[in-house]
Amino acid sequence: MNNKTALIFGFNQYSFEIIQNVTDKYSIVKFYSQNVENLKNDKYDIDFFDLSDDWSSVEKNIDIEKSIAFCVLSDNAQNIFLTISLRAHFPNLTIIAIASNSENANKLSMAGANKVIPVVETTADIITNILELPISNKVLHGILFEENDLKIAQIKIGENCTIKDEEILNIEWSRYNGIIVLSLMHKDMKSEFIYSSKVKHHILQSGDTLVVVGYENDIQEFKKLIGSES
Amino acid sequence: MIKNLIVDAAYFLQTSKRYQARKRFFFNLLENDKFRYKKYIDILMITLIFISVAVLIREVKYHVNDYLLFFSSYIISIIFFIEYVLRLWVSSSVSEIIVKRTEHDTFLSKKTNLLKAFGSILRAKLRYILSVRAIIDLLAILPFFHELRLLRIFILFRVFKLFRYAKSFQTLAGVLSTKKFEFLTLSMFASIVIFVSSVLIYVMEANNPESPINTLFEAVYWSIVTISTVGYGDVTPITSEGRVVAMLVITAGIAVLAFTTSLVVSAFTERLDEIKEVKTIEDISKLKNLYLVCGYESVAKEVVNKLLKNNNRLIVLDDDEKRVLNAKKDGLIALHYDPGSVDSYAKLNIDIKSQVKAILCLREDDVSNVYTALTVRSIDKEVFILSLLMSNSNRKKLQFAGINNLVYPQELVGLITKEFIGKPVAFEVIHQLRSEDTNVNMDEIAVTKRIVDNFATVGELGNKDFRVIVLGLYKSSHDRFYFNPIDSTILEVGDYILAIGYKVFVKEFELHLHTKVLDE
Repeated sequence: MNNKTALIFGFNQYSFEIIQNVTDKYSIVKFYSQNVENLKNDKYDIDFFDLSDDWSSVEKNIDIEKSIAFCVLSDNAQNIFLTISLRAHFPNLTIIAIASNSENANKLSMAGANKVIPVVETTADIITNILELPISNKVLHGILFEENDLKIAQIKIGENCTIKDEEILNIEWSRYNGIIVLSLMHKDMKSEFIYSSKVKHHILQSGDTLVVVGYENDIQEFKKLIGSES
Repeated sequence: MIKNLIVDAAYFLQTSKRYQARKRFFFNLLENDKFRYKKYIDILMITLIFISVAVLIREVKYHVNDYLLFFSSYIISIIFFIEYVLRLWVSSSVSEIIVKRTEHDTFLSKKTNLLKAFGSILRAKLRYILSVRAIIDLLAILPFFHELRLLRIFILFRVFKLFRYAKSFQTLAGVLSTKKFEFLTLSMFASIVIFVSSVLIYVMEANNPESPINTLFEAVYWSIVTISTVGYGDVTPITSEGRVVAMLVITAGIAVLAFTTSLVVSAFTERLDEIKEVKTIEDISKLKNLYLVCGYESVAKEVVNKLLKNNNRLIVLDDDEKRVLNAKKDGLIALHYDPGSVDSYAKLNIDIKSQVKAILCLREDDVSNVYTALTVRSIDKEVFILSLLMSNSNRKKLQFAGINNLVYPQELVGLITKEFIGKPVAFEVIHQLRSEDTNVNMDEIAVTKRIVDNFATVGELGNKDFRVIVLGLYKSSHDRFYFNPIDSTILEVGDYILAIGYKVFVKEFELHLHTKVLDE
């Protein structure tokens, strides 16, 4: 019951791509399809589900707190219905859903999805970036998705951090041991750009998270220097 | 001997780059609407035409300055004569006809028959000389002999030359010519009615001393004025028989007028889309640095919106009429052309190399995108092509078709998921930087000579004063990205600074880089 489980609802190209990318983080991946035909698939072990309110089999076998659900049904209305149904039964489950457009994205958020990926908008953003900002697109893509030395990392400020209780404005971030601090997320706020007026007078507290970009070694060095736990 | 000389001269002219370049220049100047200097010639000619007409009108009642009269009669006529000769020259190539004939005869092992070549030349030139446009051009030169008072009226022929220079006149003539048969039928009907009614009214009225219709000319005049529904009332029938004829002519007149109006309207309605399309293509041919969007579906719509926000120019091609209509409703330049057909690009009259920045194959169908990419590649090998990939199994096919960049939405979702479950906060930050709809974003600032003159190194940029992060420097010379470069890194022309910050601050920072001038 302690195993982290990924629940993937929907049998399509999106779910295949998601499976490939979550297996290293989630020890158990459960695949669900509404279509009985898909259950005979040799490659994946697929369970049947329908949109009735019977989630007992899911409830029994997994630890909801540590699990994540991906709602990727092709039918928008069914995907929203699935999301709202999961949220109603599992208030603590992390739900990621895909939306074909911004209208559906809003509905999925209202239905209780923790994260909505608006496929069309995201694809359009990437295409526009490739065309208009080819260099920054390449760099960001490299930082996010590719196996290169330049990384983006989240560093949590712990109780023993050396920079805890310091005002952000007073810390020389931009040249700190070869890393660049992009933003800060603290307990009550969303992530804020490091130069935003909301953040500059903020005093770092335990539980705040810094988003930094740098080379692997420099990030590790930075963590050591400030005494971060993560 | 003479024959050889003529053939040699023809070959010389045909192969002379200088001669051909000059001929091409004059052809473009007079006939090629896309040539940048043609519009100046057109404006000059239109001005000259209006000057001659103004002089003609003024001359009727007042004395016109002798110099102006000289200018109107001689200088303008000479300019028009030169134009006529140049048009005659560029209308066909004499040297080409001779060379072709020589090669034809040589191929058949016959002696070169120059007489046949001269015959072809004569036919080609006569074809031009006898064209309506050339005849109008020739008549416009006649006022040169303005001493003959009759020839002075030929100045009005210069007005007809406007047809040549104003595109809308040509469109009008083109539209009306589609209804040639209907107009001919109508004019035949009107002529018969005019002829019969003229004879009838003459027979009925001419012997009546009180009737104003005494001659056949007056009868024809009355018929035309009546059938056209103008009805001045200066000449009217007074006998009962004459009035019966008048009633018939009036009835026929209404029919003629209604028929003419409906003909003109239907001719325009039928060709309205075509006229609009021609205008659109003309406008497109003037655009530079444009994106050619092939297909207008959901992703294309979003991409187009984002590109338009950055003040880009773009046109949409789609073979589906509904989608084209949608694009037009969204205020875009859209054409119902198949992006996978070479013919579409020929009709579009577009030079991909010099006008198109990138071609975006955004149909949500791999087969269509491959087809479009291959078509574009068959026209231009260099242009940047970006395409959507809908099924990973088709990736190789699209790459093989010569697409430079593939965007596979499903893969993106997979990667986003991976990043989101690993580093959700970091992912959100990068996502915000990428998205056009947030305040904080990343910008590429091209390093110009001016920037290099003012700021030699990265340390001098002063980005912190503008609350801007310099993420790194892309060095074009090494094709490499330098993350977080040290202060002493030297800036070179062609480098790109990747700056992150609030849009307003990044803009200000960019402005500062371009405007700062070093103190002496």
